[in-house]
Amino acid sequence: MTCLAQPPTSEPTTSRDDPLAPTRLLVVDDHPAVRAGLRELLAGEADFHVVAAVGSAEAGMDIAKREPIDVAVVDYQLGGRNGLWMSRKLKRLPEPPAVLIYSAYTDGVLAAAAVVAEADAIVSKGRIGSDLCHEIRCAAAGARHLPAIPPRLGESLRRRLDHEEQAVFGLLLAGFDTAEVAGTLGLSPAGMESKLWELLRRLEGIPTPPRA
Amino acid sequence: MSQPRYVPLLYRVAAINAVLLATAVTLTVALLAPGKVSALAVDEEILVVLGAVALVVIANVYLLRRVVGPVQALTAFARQVDYSTLGQRIPDAEPTSEAGELALTFNQMLERLQAERRESTGRVLRAQEAERLRIAQELHDQVGQELTAVLLGLSRLSAQAPIGLEENVLAVQDVVRDSLEDVRRIAIELRPEALDDLGLPSALAVLADRFAQQLDLEIDEDLPLSLPRLASEVELVVYRVAQEALTNVARHSASSRAVLMLQCDLDRLLLVVRDDGLGLAPGHSPGTGMRGMRERAALIGAQLEIDNRPSGSGCEVRLEVPLEAEP
Repeated sequence: MTCLAQPPTSEPTTSRDDPLAPTRLLVVDDHPAVRAGLRELLAGEADFHVVAAVGSAEAGMDIAKREPIDVAVVDYQLGGRNGLWMSRKLKRLPEPPAVLIYSAYTDGVLAAAAVVAEADAIVSKGRIGSDLCHEIRCAAAGARHLPAIPPRLGESLRRRLDHEEQAVFGLLLAGFDTAEVAGTLGLSPAGMESKLWELLRRLEGIPTPPRA
Repeated sequence: MSQPRYVPLLYRVAAINAVLLATAVTLTVALLAPGKVSALAVDEEILVVLGAVALVVIANVYLLRRVVGPVQALTAFARQVDYSTLGQRIPDAEPTSEAGELALTFNQMLERLQAERRESTGRVLRAQEAERLRIAQELHDQVGQELTAVLLGLSRLSAQAPIGLEENVLAVQDVVRDSLEDVRRIAIELRPEALDDLGLPSALAVLADRFAQQLDLEIDEDLPLSLPRLASEVELVVYRVAQEALTNVARHSASSRAVLMLQCDLDRLLLVVRDDGLGLAPGHSPGTGMRGMRERAALIGAQLEIDNRPSGSGCEVRLEVPLEAEP
């Protein structure tokens, strides 16, 4: 597997001044054994520095607001708020880290929601040992790597959105970032922000409201 | 059906009546009319009396048959009634006779039996779903997480393992990875997470996608844009019926194509799963899967039809759920 895109000119999402400094990581997993295992695995890599390993999205946000983080490594299913909620929150920080979500279920639905949550990578738990470090390095370098969304599933998800949401979703799937999408569709930053939360809520499956 | 080992009511009453009539006639003739009957005409007179008695007996049997008929019809109906089929009732049960009252009471009993049966089936199915949910969560939250931790530990081991051992560690890692995948698959089958998370149409899309990938089934989906809010019990029944029907297509139909359709009108929801395979063998007996589908359908008052397609190739499962108007 290779990093998909590594734009040489644009600034990576990290804010490191020294390219040789270790990548600063934040680990979020609500299961103690997995959290400890991840921490040890990642601490064993010379170019990684685990800033903190915490058990909830809220605790993770507290750390991320205080300490500079390059890559957040987040379990999708946390006890309370999930990994995608955290991804959206992290991306609103002044210096947003790259976000890598790992999950037992890495199907197309998660990939679609991850696009909206602006996550940078999804890793299946089955590949968490071998590929995780590689994926973290890719994400730290600014590459985005999400699983493909089966066309039929994408279609079925798209049908559940209204026109404007479909446009936002389509542009995000096509790889535009949120600022570009807002500019293209003439949405204010606040309007775009609420649109994205609504979209995430819809994709994560709150049923449509009853018919009038 | 075996012949009854008793003399039917009709004949017993008819026999009693005939004996009474004959006795009454004999006594009347012997006690009230001695000497009034001419000695010469006795043969003709006996014939006339016997003929009259016979006529009355036949008329008696005919009238009795009309009285007893409804009871026999009731017996025949009670023998063949299917307790799992909703809405079966004795027709024209009116409280205008004892037989009518009996039929009415029987209908009420049938209603009560079916309600009780529906309730107990519902309890069993709800308990089963709750148990599945619990096992799926346990698998995911415990076994899955622990296997993930093992996988992480093995990753570190493989980096530190002395030469020669590294390959063994990698092999063990593969086994753990496969187990993790199995746990994930079993958890999904036990409990359609997508249903809670995504709602019925998308959950069905995910289901179809999984069948397409794992069982090499090509599925034409026709799913609605959106659905009104349905009771979670209804959604679960529709999902399970679709799952079972698609499983049957993959296992038994020898077809590699299926149609999965969901339609929603104002007052009903229609699920159709259709294939173009072998169809049901004539005189097939329903397996546990089909019975399960029927029980689930009955639980939400839905009609389930499983039939060969009129065109002659393949089988069609139709589930029609009546929807109540928005309150």
